[in-house]
Amino acid sequence: MEQRIDKCVLPNGMVVLGEPMPGVESVAFDFMLPAGAAWMPPGYGGAANVISEWVFRGAGKWDSRQLGDALDGLGVQRSTSIGSSHIYLGAALESSNLAPALALYADVILHPHLTDEQFDPARQLIIEELQSLDDEPRQRVSIELKKHFYPDPLGRSNMGELEELQVLTASKTREIADAYLDVQQIILAVAGKYDFDAVCRQIESVFGPYKAKPISAIEIGAGGPKYTHIPHEGAQVHIGLMTPTARFADEAYYDARLAVSVLSGGMSARLFTEVREKRGLCYAIGARYHSRREAAGIACYAGTSPDKAQETYDVVLREFRRLAEGISEAEMDRAKIGLKSAVILQSESSSSRAGAIGSDYYMLGRVRTLDEVKQKIEETSVDSVLGFLRSHPFQDFTVVTIGPRAIDV
Amino acid sequence: MEFRHKRLSNGLVLIGEVNLPAKSAAVGYFVRTGARDETLDINGVSHFLEHMLFKGTERLNSFQVNEAFDSRGAQFNAFTSEEQTVFYASVLPEYLTDITALWGELMRPALREDDFTIEKNVIKEEIAMYQDTPAFDVIDRCRSLHFGTHPCGYSVLGTVESIDGLTAEQMRAYFARRYAPNNLIVACAGNFDWDGFCAVVEAASGRWRSQEVGRPLCHFEGTRQKVRAEKPNLKREHICLMHTGISAQDPRRFAASLLSMIVGDDYGSRFYWELVDKALAEEAAMHFGPMDGTGLFYCYLRCGTPNAAKVLEVADGIFRDLVRNGITSEELVKAKNKVLSAFVLKNELPMGRLGDLGSNWMYLGEYRSIEQDVAAVKAVTVDEVNRLIHEIDLDDYTQYSLGPAASA
Repeated sequence: MEQRIDKCVLPNGMVVLGEPMPGVESVAFDFMLPAGAAWMPPGYGGAANVISEWVFRGAGKWDSRQLGDALDGLGVQRSTSIGSSHIYLGAALESSNLAPALALYADVILHPHLTDEQFDPARQLIIEELQSLDDEPRQRVSIELKKHFYPDPLGRSNMGELEELQVLTASKTREIADAYLDVQQIILAVAGKYDFDAVCRQIESVFGPYKAKPISAIEIGAGGPKYTHIPHEGAQVHIGLMTPTARFADEAYYDARLAVSVLSGGMSARLFTEVREKRGLCYAIGARYHSRREAAGIACYAGTSPDKAQETYDVVLREFRRLAEGISEAEMDRAKIGLKSAVILQSESSSSRAGAIGSDYYMLGRVRTLDEVKQKIEETSVDSVLGFLRSHPFQDFTVVTIGPRAIDV
Repeated sequence: MEFRHKRLSNGLVLIGEVNLPAKSAAVGYFVRTGARDETLDINGVSHFLEHMLFKGTERLNSFQVNEAFDSRGAQFNAFTSEEQTVFYASVLPEYLTDITALWGELMRPALREDDFTIEKNVIKEEIAMYQDTPAFDVIDRCRSLHFGTHPCGYSVLGTVESIDGLTAEQMRAYFARRYAPNNLIVACAGNFDWDGFCAVVEAASGRWRSQEVGRPLCHFEGTRQKVRAEKPNLKREHICLMHTGISAQDPRRFAASLLSMIVGDDYGSRFYWELVDKALAEEAAMHFGPMDGTGLFYCYLRCGTPNAAKVLEVADGIFRDLVRNGITSEELVKAKNKVLSAFVLKNELPMGRLGDLGSNWMYLGEYRSIEQDVAAVKAVTVDEVNRLIHEIDLDDYTQYSLGPAASA
């Protein structure tokens, strides 16, 4: 069956996207608000995170408790997250409750109360969350890695920084929320069972006309140090490393994705084979593609005992560097079928589709169909991937370790 | 959706729920074995054995196994719990036959000595990884404390000592005892052909022989002890509370799911409003863990150490209030809406459906349609939940806290 992508640009500039999914009773939606961590003014990195918590503490005619009860009453599965570019307010639910759920989210975005009384617990909760990272070295290494790899502010921690959060005030955060919640730049992505005309009419009527809120472009600075070790008396050394690659919108994007798959697409891929199967160095080992609109990288994680950390790092780095020397046709075939299968399997979930079409639109200004993605994967070859790797060799690595012992890089 | 099932003469059960419009199919081998079926001297063997199945058969080495999965684009994995070992894969329909046959072949592994030696290191790294994940570590420790000498308290991963001491011979003997066809279920959900599926499984399993295999079932009320342990590298207080629960076979299980939602859902629960909304605890969740012949409820709370006493006092107050006053009808309605929408979302994916399909057969020996489960959730009354609160003694529980040194 032909895949349909719905799109409507409302008079106020807001973009509504949709993908109907036959045979499902659910619907998922994602409001993408242009107020991600990278957009926060310098010194207020955690503000986006606090805003995403604070807006749910009372909005429109609802106080905090009533709003929570109303969302629960509709069976809304909430997912709020902060990205570098956006705050994502997501929901998944049975489709019959879509209109009232959209109305509640519109209140949260347009008419949050943002009271002083609710500011302190909202901020405190984010501080607590951040402090818990100290006990989660595996999660923390990935955050520190992106912070050092990407040029500032693209790699800023989505959670914020403790020192900045501790001095954040309600009035400053309110000011930031007001400045950045620019209706014209909001993207709403819907997937599953819905009536597109009804969604657009509802959104247009509640979001109203555009009021200009000029946001200055972000200024991109420098990345962090090439190697950072954070001492932690845990059981393992948690190793993160990242190297630049083609961005989502670049011509060579699919070659880069295939290269990552040959390295780490499955259990037969290079990293798993060399690090875990042959040497038993790690339980968790893997690399994945990671992109901002402005820059992209391949991020690798390995967790291992202190006495094996150096060897693990050396083997991983060798595999990255060795990739340009040659890839077999069989490896390429497995990488292709793995990527294509993953695309189709993910397309069965309404939440995953809502996220994908919104992200496509932000990154590319359009939504790719599954057929297009499959065709692009098919068009890559051993030669195209090797050509890409030779013109963009893996040379420049940013490395972060957390654990009882540093390594030589 | 159409349900099909078949029992082979060697006792192997095949079940399937055919949903032709789906874009994929999910297949799983459910083995009725886990940590509770071990003895302490071989603790961790079920999970280690799960790893060893990927190391191949007399015909295939581990590299060939991995290539066989990856060349079909399968998203595959396995997990081991206290009482199940499950091997599963999601695939495009055209690869289902190959992947089902492959799993069937892997169910008779070679268990080679050299593979065993290398994989031992991987298992010990997995143990180390979870030691660096206190949210997991504290639940594991609390489970041991709660179950005392009952085998449901055995660690799934085992300990470095038990893994070091384990021999390939002991693993082979355990395998021979537990992986009999009459202790296995093969399930499939999504877009697939039932007859073709049966033919593949039958071809793989024809020579397997049934044998005596069992599991002693006895309910356990829990020790209800309270312990705090210190780990100098921690910065936060990680707390697990464990209540006695009810079994996966118990008709009250739907009320139990709703109760855990009312007490400890991520949003909108009693924990949420009293602990998270007020920023006393950063995380506060309650889950219902039904098991074979027994069960538990477990809560995970995380907060700054200075808040720990207050957090425990508030949690205890919530339990005592529920014992005294019960839940409200509004709470029950909200919990039902949330349970049902999560259920609908999960079951739209063949992989989500596979889990319920396999578990229902393993625990109940029956098929339950989505509609039956939805109706059962809708039918739960306030009185039923309130009765359950008394039956499980909600204000009496085991408690394990893991945090930094008291002087820190």
